[in-house]
Amino acid sequence: MNVILAIARKDLLQLFRDKANCFFTFIFPVLVALFFGTIFRSGGPAGKMDIAVVDLAQNAAAAGFVGDLRADSAINVKDAATLAQAEDLVRKGSADAAVVLPEDFEDAAGGLFSGRALELDVIVSPKNAAQSGLLVGKLNELAFKQLSRSLGDADLTRKLADQGKQSIASSDTLGPVQKVLLGTLFDTVSGLSAANATPAGSGDGSAGGLAGWQPIRVTTRELEVVNKGPLNSFEVSFPQGVVWGLMGCVMAFGVSVVTERSRGTLSRLRIAPISKSQILLGKALACAIGCLAVMGILLGLAVVALGVRVQSWPMMGIAVVGISLGFTGLMMLIAGLSRTEGAAQGLARAVMLILAMIGGGSIPTAFMPPLMRKLSAVSPFRWAVEAVEGAMWRGFSLAEMAIPVGILVGVAVVGFAIGISTLRWDDD
Amino acid sequence: MLHLNALRKSFGSLVAVDGLTLTVPKGQVLGLLGPNGAGKSTCIAMTVGLLAPDSGSVEIEGVGPPTDPRARRLLGVAPQALAIYEDLTGLENLAFFARLHGMADPRGAALRALASVGLEAKGTERASRYSGGMKRRLNLAAALIHDPAIILLDEPTAGVDPQSRNNILETVRALSAAGRTIVYTTHYMEEAAKVCDRIAIMDKGKLLATGTVQELIEQHGGSSVLTLVQAGTETRSQVRDPLPEIARAMAAGNVSSVRIDRPDLESVFLNLTGRSLRD
Repeated sequence: MNVILAIARKDLLQLFRDKANCFFTFIFPVLVALFFGTIFRSGGPAGKMDIAVVDLAQNAAAAGFVGDLRADSAINVKDAATLAQAEDLVRKGSADAAVVLPEDFEDAAGGLFSGRALELDVIVSPKNAAQSGLLVGKLNELAFKQLSRSLGDADLTRKLADQGKQSIASSDTLGPVQKVLLGTLFDTVSGLSAANATPAGSGDGSAGGLAGWQPIRVTTRELEVVNKGPLNSFEVSFPQGVVWGLMGCVMAFGVSVVTERSRGTLSRLRIAPISKSQILLGKALACAIGCLAVMGILLGLAVVALGVRVQSWPMMGIAVVGISLGFTGLMMLIAGLSRTEGAAQGLARAVMLILAMIGGGSIPTAFMPPLMRKLSAVSPFRWAVEAVEGAMWRGFSLAEMAIPVGILVGVAVVGFAIGISTLRWDDD
Repeated sequence: MLHLNALRKSFGSLVAVDGLTLTVPKGQVLGLLGPNGAGKSTCIAMTVGLLAPDSGSVEIEGVGPPTDPRARRLLGVAPQALAIYEDLTGLENLAFFARLHGMADPRGAALRALASVGLEAKGTERASRYSGGMKRRLNLAAALIHDPAIILLDEPTAGVDPQSRNNILETVRALSAAGRTIVYTTHYMEEAAKVCDRIAIMDKGKLLATGTVQELIEQHGGSSVLTLVQAGTETRSQVRDPLPEIARAMAAGNVSSVRIDRPDLESVFLNLTGRSLRD
C-alpha cells in the first residue's frame, strides 16, 4: 500500500508542478463555470427581484398598485393569472416570490379610516426566504405611495370619508359625542376634498395620526420547492466546469503514463521490487484523487462563493466517487491505446474534446436539440454532469442516481480492462 | 555474484543474444563492450528482468529469476536514458525511489545517495534545472539508493563534462572497493580500461572475448606499429616484438626517430568486431 501511495503522491506532485496541466485541470474549469454561469444568468437586469403578481381584485386600486410594482427599479413583475400559476412560478424558480392582491383590495385601501390594513399574501421559496424581508419593505413603501395617491384623489377621499362616516354612524362601540366629533371631522375631510385643497403630501400627516398603523399587513408563506430545476445559473455552469476539469485530469494522467514509458522511468519502476498491478493502482489512485480534487474545488467554490446548493451531500458523495472511478478508467484506456506521447495527446484532445462537448461541456444537455441529446448518451461526461446535477438540484433518488453512476462504473470496468490489456510496458 | 547462463533472445528472425554465458564475481567491475546492435542492451534488459529470455537463466547472488522481488532488491540499474522525473527535485526523485524499495527512512537514504554523487547542495532544485552531468549523476544515485549488491550501469558517462565523468568514475571505483559487483557498458575504451577489472566484448549476440585488458591485448591486440626515421626516410612496420627491430636499425646507424604504437583496448575491439560502420 505504501508503494501505491508513493506512486500516487509522485504523480500528483508532477501534476501540480506542471503549470499547463494544473491550469487546464483546476483553473480553466473554474473560469468556464464562471463564464457560462455569468452569461447564462437568467431574469432581468442584475439585482432585480422577479416577482409573480396575482391580481385577484381586478380594480383600479389594484391596477395602480401593480403599476407601482412594475415601475419599481428593483422589481421585475411576472404576471400570473391565478394563485396556482404564481405558486408554480415560485416553485420552478422563475420567480423569487409571488404577491397576491386580494379581491377586496380597494376596500382595504380605505382602512385608513377604519384602522384596517391592506392584506397581502407573499409567497416565497425557502431559497429566497432572506429576500422576503426586502420585499415586505418594498410593498410597504408602495402601499404608502398608494395611500398618498388615494388622499390626493378628491373623489376617492370623499368616498372614503363618506364610508367612514357611515361606519361611525353604525358603530355600537362609539358614544354619541364621539360620533358627532368624528362625523364633523369626516365632513371637514369631504369638504376639503371637494375643494381639491388637500395637498398630496398631507397623506403622511393623516397616517401619522394613527400611531403604529401600517397601510398593509403582509402574510408571508414559504412554498416547498418540489420542482427539479436549477435555481441559479451556476448550478448549470459548475457541472459544465466539472466536465472540463475531468478532461484536464484524464488527459494529464493518461499522457503521463505514456511519457513514463517513453522516457524510461516506467522501466525503473518495473525494475523496482514492486508488481505491475501496484504501479497501475498507484497511477489510478493519483488520477482518482485528481478527479476528486477537481470536483471538490469546483463544488466548494460554487457552494461557498456563488450560492450553489447541493440538495443531497450523500448523493453528491456517490456521484463524485462514481465519476472518479469512471474517469480513471477512461485515463487507463487512453494510456493503453496510445503508443506514443503524441498519440496520447492527439487521442486525448480529439476524442475527449468531442466527448466533453457533446456530453454537456459546452452546451448544457438540457438546451441541446433532441438528436444531440440522444447522442450525448455515448459520452461519459454527460453521465458525470447528470450525476452532479442529480445531487445538486435534480433531487435524484438512490435509484435515479444508480443510472449515471452505474454507467460510469461500467466505463471504469471497460476502461481498465482494455487499458491494462493493451498497455505497453516497453518502449520498443 | 551475477551469473548469466546460456541466455538467448530473438526478435523474429533477428537473434539479439545468442547463448551468452557470463559470470561476474562479487566485487568485480566487468566492462561489457560491443558496437551498436551487438546485444548489450538486450542482455541488460534480460539481466534486470525487463525482458524474458527465450532460453537460459539469470542468477543474482544465487537468486533468480530477476523478476523475483528478492532479486530486484539486490539490483541497481542506471539506464542509458535518463530515467528521472524532471518535475521533481533531486531529493524528491531519490526519496520516491527509496519508497519503492520499502526503505524505512527514504529522505535519509536520498540525502546519502545525493552526497555520494556530489549533488548534496542541489537536492532541493528541480531535476529539470540540472546540467547534463548532474542529471547523469542523479540517474546513477537512483540506482544506488537502496545500496544494491549488483549494479548495472549502461553508458553512465554518455554526454557529460569531464568533471561529472570523473565523479562518476570515482563513484564506480568506490563502489567496487566496497565490494559491489558492477556491469559497466560504455563506448569509451579508455574509460573501460581505467575502471574495469575485466572486459567482455560481444557482437551479433555472441560473446567474443573476455579477460583483463592486458589479457585481451595480448590475445587480440595484434602487432605493435614501429615507425623509424632512418637516414631521413620514414618506415612503418607491424611487429609482434619491436625491440629486436629497433636494435637492428640502431646497429645500422643514422636512426633519427623511433616510435612504437602498442595495441590497446580499442585495437582489441576493432580487431574483434571489425572496422565497418554499424548503424
